[in-house]
Amino acid sequence: MPESSIIRFLSVMVVLSVVGFGWYYIGFARLKRKGMDETAARKQANQEARKYSLIATFLYMVAMVSVVGLFL
Amino acid sequence: MKMMYGMLMALTPAALWSIYAFGPQALVRILAGVGAALVAEALYQKLTGQKITIKDGSAAITGMLLGMAVSISTPWYAVAISTAFGIIFGKQLLGGVGKNLFNPAMFGRLFYLFVFPDSILPWRRPFDLVTSATPLEILRETGETAGVPILDMFLGRIPGTIGEISALMLLIGFSFLVIRKFVRWRIPAAAFSTVLVLAIIAGQNPLFHFFAGSLMLGACFMATDPMTSPRYPKGQIFFGIGIGLIIMSMRWWGWQTPGVYEFTEGTTFAVLTMNLFTPYLNKKFKPAPKK
Repeated sequence: MPESSIIRFLSVMVVLSVVGFGWYYIGFARLKRKGMDETAARKQANQEARKYSLIATFLYMVAMVSVVGLFL
Repeated sequence: MKMMYGMLMALTPAALWSIYAFGPQALVRILAGVGAALVAEALYQKLTGQKITIKDGSAAITGMLLGMAVSISTPWYAVAISTAFGIIFGKQLLGGVGKNLFNPAMFGRLFYLFVFPDSILPWRRPFDLVTSATPLEILRETGETAGVPILDMFLGRIPGTIGEISALMLLIGFSFLVIRKFVRWRIPAAAFSTVLVLAIIAGQNPLFHFFAGSLMLGACFMATDPMTSPRYPKGQIFFGIGIGLIIMSMRWWGWQTPGVYEFTEGTTFAVLTMNLFTPYLNKKFKPAPKK
């Protein structure tokens, strides 16, 4: 596998992880502040984090392919 | 499950044509896609303690679609990695069939375009495998659709991704899906109508746009995925129109970065972008309950 492909692959993983974990912690804190039960808040924050990390990854890949051309 | 296996049967004519046209290398890529999809899904479900559902055929469809949506120059491992990514992140991460936001095959294809762009080129002509430009590249270079014989595009004697080259074979498979009522026909109907209108406005041959690129494969087989497309008729029409608009915009203007590979096709971006609107379209066009 070419080196450039490995770098691109890793960058996708970084975006997924950063947005996923970031959203989870921020979302969890927000839901707790709203007075939601801890277990339910964790579950909802987890679902939201997965969804938004995928959307962010989609936008990242489209942006890289189309506008910036980074690594290409 | 009947529908899933119906979809696999519908893809078979185009897959067989691609193997006939490109040789066993096409079969290797399709098998890499199907194999990787089944392994990735089973492994993910095993590791997360879920029931293994590979027998329902949905993973095999994703693998087959992705295996057919790559260039013959692409190495098999790129197909396998992209398919595994599509299955794990495009489908399983949100809970599997029915819960996914994006079409997994298209999500895997976007990953393929981003991570392995160097492996797309060179495009090769079917049968003799000589390096050649695709009809959409010719359109981009010359600004005209007249240079490519429409009959060759219809029959599958043009360069392109493995499974998209023969519009005839794709139409045979799609007709089977429509007859068996396995597919949301309004989506491709709206997409093709939009392409027709825009092509006529631009003074270009609509048949060129119908048969070029992955419009046929994407609109008939990927955009109609029941899990990621709108449920209600009006929503399906808006979904199809959106796909047609994005595809034609990409074909005319593209997204180019000077000095790097230039994408002349937008089906992947179109379907994934419209997938994002599916929850909204379902909400907006939900029929009022009968009194």
